[in-house]
Amino acid sequence: MRIIIVGAGKVGYQLVESLAKENHDILVVDTDQEVLDRINDNFDVLTKKGNGISSSLLKGLNIEGWDLLIAVTNSDEANIVACITAKKVGVKTAIARVRNPEYVVELDFMRSNLGIDYIINPEHATANEIIRLLLSTYASYAADFAKGQVRMSEIIIEAASGFAGKQIKDIKLPARVVITAITRNGEVIIPNGFDYVMPDDTLYIMGEKGVVDSVAKTAGVRIVNNRVKDVMIIGGGKIGYYLAKGLERLDINVKIIEQDIERCRELAEGLNDALVLHGDGTDITLLKAENVECMDAFIAVTGYDEENLLVSVLAKQMGAKKVIAKVSRSNYTSVLETIGIDNAVSPKLITASDILRIVRGGRIVSISLLIGGQAEVVELIPQEGAPVLNRPLKELGMPRSIIIGAILRKGKVMIPNGDSVIKSSDRVIVFTLDSHIDKVTQLFSRKGGGISIHELINSAKNAGDAASM
Amino acid sequence: MNSLIVLRTLGMLLLCEAVAMFPSVVVALIYRENTIFAFIVSIAITTMIGLTLFSIRVKDKIIRYKEGFAIVTFGWLMVSVLGALPFLFTGAITSVIDAFFETVSGFSTTGATIINNIEVLPRSLLFWRSFTHWLGGMGILVLALALAPVLGVGTFQILKAESPGPISTKLTPRVNNTAKILYITYTVITAAEILLLVLGGMPLFDSFIHTFGTLGTGGFSIKNASVGAYNSVYFDIVITVFMIASGVNFSLYYIAFRRKSPAGFFKDVEFRTYISIIAVAITFITINLNGKVFDGVLQSLRHAAFQVASIITTTGFTTTDFDLWPDFSRAVLFVLMFVGACAGSTGGSVKVIRINLMFKYMKREVNRLIHPRAVTAVKIGNTPVQEEVLSGVMAFVMFYMIIFIVASLLLAVQGHDLVSSVAAVAATLGNIGPGFGMVGPATTYSALSGFSKLLLSFCMILGRLEIYTVIALLSPRFWKR
Repeated sequence: MRIIIVGAGKVGYQLVESLAKENHDILVVDTDQEVLDRINDNFDVLTKKGNGISSSLLKGLNIEGWDLLIAVTNSDEANIVACITAKKVGVKTAIARVRNPEYVVELDFMRSNLGIDYIINPEHATANEIIRLLLSTYASYAADFAKGQVRMSEIIIEAASGFAGKQIKDIKLPARVVITAITRNGEVIIPNGFDYVMPDDTLYIMGEKGVVDSVAKTAGVRIVNNRVKDVMIIGGGKIGYYLAKGLERLDINVKIIEQDIERCRELAEGLNDALVLHGDGTDITLLKAENVECMDAFIAVTGYDEENLLVSVLAKQMGAKKVIAKVSRSNYTSVLETIGIDNAVSPKLITASDILRIVRGGRIVSISLLIGGQAEVVELIPQEGAPVLNRPLKELGMPRSIIIGAILRKGKVMIPNGDSVIKSSDRVIVFTLDSHIDKVTQLFSRKGGGISIHELINSAKNAGDAASM
Repeated sequence: MNSLIVLRTLGMLLLCEAVAMFPSVVVALIYRENTIFAFIVSIAITTMIGLTLFSIRVKDKIIRYKEGFAIVTFGWLMVSVLGALPFLFTGAITSVIDAFFETVSGFSTTGATIINNIEVLPRSLLFWRSFTHWLGGMGILVLALALAPVLGVGTFQILKAESPGPISTKLTPRVNNTAKILYITYTVITAAEILLLVLGGMPLFDSFIHTFGTLGTGGFSIKNASVGAYNSVYFDIVITVFMIASGVNFSLYYIAFRRKSPAGFFKDVEFRTYISIIAVAITFITINLNGKVFDGVLQSLRHAAFQVASIITTTGFTTTDFDLWPDFSRAVLFVLMFVGACAGSTGGSVKVIRINLMFKYMKREVNRLIHPRAVTAVKIGNTPVQEEVLSGVMAFVMFYMIIFIVASLLLAVQGHDLVSSVAAVAATLGNIGPGFGMVGPATTYSALSGFSKLLLSFCMILGRLEIYTVIALLSPRFWKR
């Protein structure tokens, strides 16, 4: 693969380091000759001094037809412009690192109008990962895909429910939802029309968000969702902001403690229901006054690993149910469990896997683990030439345990049937049992280019320092 | 302060007023009334003063804050004084104070009257009286801006000082285009109501009068019993709907028109609050009236809805004497007098957005007691409200209450009963019109003393110009160099 990296800062350098090992052709563009010299000394890559935004520079490099441009300079705007320019010059795929929260809402616009294929936002990705950790702690769970248009919801069937005791074919479901799986006594059943729904079953239904919710209502059951009610966040940086924003949307009560008063004001303006507190996260009296002991989760995402670890331990001792700390340096991972921290997240690793996912051809947008890891819901974009494309689903010979839950085409959600056809620009949300993940990957990748999801995640860790900072 | 530009602008304003008197001459011609002479003299005087002022040569054409305040306040005073001329020259009103009161009440869209038997007045004069509502509703200076973009830089100051609400926005980059859009919207809605009333069988002249009263949220009628005189369900419904519509921020209509979708209304927090308040008030009053005052839910609903819409939008039309209603219903109406319509509408009083912000502010203060370290932002929808705007709103509410209290005391000290004193001030400061007691829907303000009438006239202007514009002028600092 031929790759251009614009910006040889920390991230750029890390990317060069991990990608150079893998026999890619790499061209690095930066304005600072010293940095370029250092790269030239250490790696077998081409360097060019200059401004990556300049179209004449990019044209002069003859990069038409190159596979990928990754823009990771310090400036969001420069990254965006570099990607647009590159696309115009003829680079196939462009990735920009964009971190400013104000631009996050514009991602769709950037993708569709500016032609930037992927946007990497380490802080946003980290916040999403934390939210996922929070929600998946509990058995019952709802996950949203395709930017919240498609929802997968877990519904526990009570004896009084109108669904109980019926065969699935007799249950009147709206056209835009499917029952993807049933769990009964810990066993996963991929149902067909003749299976019965029993009391105490858990149904996994997928479909358009509003419809899923209304099905849950007509089923006479509550949607088991968001058992986490109160969350305290220490550190109101970008991660803290995204996290609070995301949790707010799930109707979770959020308290966020931040030291800098100016930043507090910004947070208060940006967030709706979250309570923004000005103070030091390590101040025990403040934590006590804000009832840290009643929190379902305590999340430390300040800029300092040590502080995050320390307050997390403190909070755990004071009674917070689940504590999560952001730890950027991998040196600490070994001690985490002994000191009682439930989860540690590393923006570096998350970003690395994000970028590598793209570089390595897997076009997986989001993954969600279900039923204790027995099943997964994967949102992906099929590769050109993948076997799944342009054929009715019933001819694909898919195992029953792979269910195409929803297709997102031009912003519209479709629930497919056997005659539906997947096209190359679609986003597809697939439910699959763990045992068939490789099959999914085969179906959605070009022949010969198939990499399993596990491989992807593992290699992300290895190659992983393509960093977030 | 740059007095020359102020005088020149005032001159232009008077010229506009002179033009605005012409339709009344036409009415006089149509109905062959002998008021033509009175109007022509009024127009001549207004034009002369206007021309004299307008011919002043101005070097520095910039209108700043101070000039904006001065233009608007003095503009309203002068327009009211000269607008009173037709009343005096026709002999319909003999006292100068009374004529001034009536005109201020017209321009400020209050609708409080001192004329005991309105039905004997000549039609041309009735037309002029109601036309002042229509002009004052959207703002006579805004009209001047729309018609004559000859003024200097900084006309936004005028728009800001005259249009109601804590935050003024331009719809287009240029002030005079914004003013034009507002007036076009206003005219279109006016035409719609006239059409609907005429289709329902109301005489054309009456339709004009009641539409002016509705759109400007004024409330002058040509019947002693106001809209109730027609005793028509259809008219009641049309006028109720248009009163509520006139209490909505007019820029929302423009946005809805531009986007070809009414979604903007429901996204607007103020609109939602406004509609909710109206719905709740109508429900309460309907329940309270049913069986006690009117037989049948529909009758109660009809009158409750009309009166609630009339009071909250600060119009002041009535279909029945609500002063005879049970105390609870009257109390609800009294509270509504302090709510008012939406910012950017033609309605008066405190405005829904300020009430909304006030409650959010109070909620924040309580929140602060519980979480002393909390940093919070007051928001309308998703938009944070600046601290300056917020403290401006709080100060506005305080000013409003203090003026209300002082003016009520000044009325009470003259021996008027408590309910009448309080209601008269609430109804004039809020630009509503009818109050309770002595100034109820069945009576007029004519029994009050000359001092009281001047005081209430002042209240009407204060209310219409939203206090600050006038108060700024009264401050000694304003006049210091």
